Amino acid sequence: MLESAGDRCKAAYYPIEGERDVHSRDGHDTHPFIVQQLISTIPKSVKSAHGGFLSNLAVAVWLTALVPSCGPVVENAPFSARPDSLRSGDLLGPFDGMVVDDETDRPLAGAVVAGSWAFVRGIGLEGPAAALEAVTETGADGRYRLKIPADLPRGEGVRLRRFTLMVYRRGYVAWRSDGIFPTGEPRGDFAQQGNRVRLEKWQASMSHYRHLVFLGGGPAIRAAAAWEVQPAGLELDGASPTATSERPTETARVGSASALNISSLLSEDEVRGVTGYAGKFEVGKLADRATSDVYDSRHFKALDKPETYDVGLRVWAIGTEAAEAQFRKLIGDLPSAVATEEMGDASLRARGGDVTGFAFLLREKGVVMQLSCGLAQCPEPSMILRLAKLAESHLPEVKLPSPESTGLVPSSGSSLVPGGKP
Amino acid sequence: MRRLGLLVRPRFSLVALVGTWAVFSHSAARAYEPATTHAGLTERAVEASRLHQVLSHLGRPLGLLEPLHISLDLLDQDERRALQARLDALDPAGGYRPGTDGVAGAGQWVVAGAVLAKTPPERGANHFLDPANGKGLHDGPGLSGFAHSLRLLFDGGTSVRGLVAGTAFTLEGKSALNWIWSPGNDLGIPVLLDNWERAVSLAGPRAREAALVRALLALGGVMAVLEDAGQPAFVRNDFRGAFLQRDGGSAYEQFVAAHYGRSALPAAATLVSRPDIASFFASVDGKGLANRTQRRFFSEGTIPADVSIERDTKVADVVRRARESLEYSSPTLSSLVLRPAQSQHYLALEGHRVLAYENTGTQVRFFLDDAVFADMARTLLPEIAGYAAGLLNHLLRARLEMAVAGTSVTIRLAGEAKEGGAVRVFVEDGSGQRRELPGTGAILSPGGEVVVSKPAGARKLAAVLRGRDAGGPFVAAGEVTLP
Repeated sequence: MLESAGDRCKAAYYPIEGERDVHSRDGHDTHPFIVQQLISTIPKSVKSAHGGFLSNLAVAVWLTALVPSCGPVVENAPFSARPDSLRSGDLLGPFDGMVVDDETDRPLAGAVVAGSWAFVRGIGLEGPAAALEAVTETGADGRYRLKIPADLPRGEGVRLRRFTLMVYRRGYVAWRSDGIFPTGEPRGDFAQQGNRVRLEKWQASMSHYRHLVFLGGGPAIRAAAAWEVQPAGLELDGASPTATSERPTETARVGSASALNISSLLSEDEVRGVTGYAGKFEVGKLADRATSDVYDSRHFKALDKPETYDVGLRVWAIGTEAAEAQFRKLIGDLPSAVATEEMGDASLRARGGDVTGFAFLLREKGVVMQLSCGLAQCPEPSMILRLAKLAESHLPEVKLPSPESTGLVPSSGSSLVPGGKP
Repeated sequence: MRRLGLLVRPRFSLVALVGTWAVFSHSAARAYEPATTHAGLTERAVEASRLHQVLSHLGRPLGLLEPLHISLDLLDQDERRALQARLDALDPAGGYRPGTDGVAGAGQWVVAGAVLAKTPPERGANHFLDPANGKGLHDGPGLSGFAHSLRLLFDGGTSVRGLVAGTAFTLEGKSALNWIWSPGNDLGIPVLLDNWERAVSLAGPRAREAALVRALLALGGVMAVLEDAGQPAFVRNDFRGAFLQRDGGSAYEQFVAAHYGRSALPAAATLVSRPDIASFFASVDGKGLANRTQRRFFSEGTIPADVSIERDTKVADVVRRARESLEYSSPTLSSLVLRPAQSQHYLALEGHRVLAYENTGTQVRFFLDDAVFADMARTLLPEIAGYAAGLLNHLLRARLEMAVAGTSVTIRLAGEAKEGGAVRVFVEDGSGQRRELPGTGAILSPGGEVVVSKPAGARKLAAVLRGRDAGGPFVAAGEVTLP
């Protein structure tokens, strides 16, 4: 006999092993074994009483009083216990598996794995009652494990309806246990244990907005996917997914094959998407400094417009120490420069004449980015920040020089003018 | 029940079973499942609407993706506690539950509102609408209050505890059209309009942002009510038949939840434009969503009654008796195929299967199966999203366009509003604080302009106008950053 409330509840919400398989997948025939379990919790003193109606009534009252203090009814899971098993899994868990690259089959470390348990309740009509979430990250072996959640919600009529597993790793298509991107069609290969999550590489033609909507997830997942918000916003503003993800390669002016090439950091369409500018740009390099292995620039020159419509981007990839020095130099050199904490490890805003500037430091990568934007192009202070975030979001696409080849001294001639003239 | 028999004597088990039956006999009934179907439909509607552009116009450059903070501490204690509890119940997997910091994207807040519309689930009782008479959920004459609850108890829809505590669902509700205007609905149109205005007019930036969140939640709440007008049971007063007859609740809604989830729901069909808010739901021209749903589809509890037959029963007699059993005049049936016996057939209307039937030899049995549900879902779901997107656009149909020229700012009422109203203008300083410009309140007509002088030291000007035209009340808003 189970005496403690916790034990009583455990008996109520844990399904009976072996009887699980015979229940339908819609999960609404769980009552019989719940009744069995509850009967088993009745104290012997009550069960053995011979008081006729009164004792029977006492049993009924006992059962009525017991239920609200117990954990939820667990509905049947729409997934199997293991990939090679026909036995239904358990919505409560535990869950484990491995995240691998779909092409190489190699384990992927650092993938965010979130599990979400959704509880419902309702008399006649039904709605959300409670939810629990557990988050972990895959280790070097690509494995994850989520335990049965503690502190399950209690209350009359509460049922565990759904468990959803979400896996996200930048550069890959998000994975959900209940659907497949981009169509959302139901997934049939999720298993409670020994699950294998095969992540497909992200394709430039895919929509970041659709991806974010598909992904869902709680704070941890959203934080991991936060970089997609900017390109998704551009898509909503009318830019195609390709325009936000894939740009034509631009030939470096310096012939070295190892020359830094930042042509993928920002596109014309992205600038237009942020600023709403409808005109055309002539895209080239800024004239104030030549492209090298550790420096590159982009100049979006607005055709038939004054310089106040131009946008400039400069990137130094010069190692941690030199990058910090370069950032300090920019604060000292750029007009009206003010340190802010809007991006990266440090950032600044500057303003000179009709041009606004923004720069930020990525200490670990040893990178400094500086954007300049004419006020006719960027009338809102938030616009240059959005451009900067977009550029940062594409940084993984840029081949940065190795640490050994950097460690340079800060460059001279800091300029805020998009056209690069001192 | 084998183990139960081993444990207890028959008399004991009888009473115990009655007790446990009373406790466990809730049908796990499902309206369009809030966490999946309503969430997904609302996502599709939001995507198809112009909400993204409207938000961008209001100084939220990321539009649907703009992170917004609800600032629950600005609410009074009871409201804060209630809303927090409801938000905590949302499934993180859907992506619309705010983080512990109270932040979610603007579009996610709308979706959260659609889910909260049925949180707690009893709120769904106010989503019913019979377009023919404007009534909400009712369970026939002669029964009310406790009698309904008792009847529901025996139908399996409530519990002894709920009955005693008075929380049992009584098969009564406000009609959907009353509910969206009800002062008791914290996700209704009055809340939406009030907070849309406050999102411009309040002094502090946190308060304005929180008001915008409340407005977006209410927007989702209103959309969820309309979405249920695309569920046959909700427009055919069919709670008992759709939700209580079988243990699993509405088979149609389970079908939709299982086959579409949240992310496989189809995109919105053509955006619907209607003359006023009510006509998105129901109207005399029959083009409201509830009208269209009611006349084209059966719900599980409003199909024809089974007809007993003999060898010489004529098809016309079966059709007549089946028609006579119908509670609603449409859809109806004009012919049936009854040969050969034991075969299953479908009644098709407008190219989709709406009813399954079979001749068992002794009766003609009518039912809805997965093939019917598939056609219903394929037809209804894109249409629902189109109506919801249209309603969203209708509610946000007016905007204020503001242009700076020299030292003056011109404010123009744009969009689709047919009438004007008094425009209030606010000046925002460098810290985001707003104050109303004295002397504003000029009447602005559609296409008309109001010119105000640019105040010194101002960072932004914002304006808001509350008006009403034939399409119902509206709020127009706009803002401009000053050079």
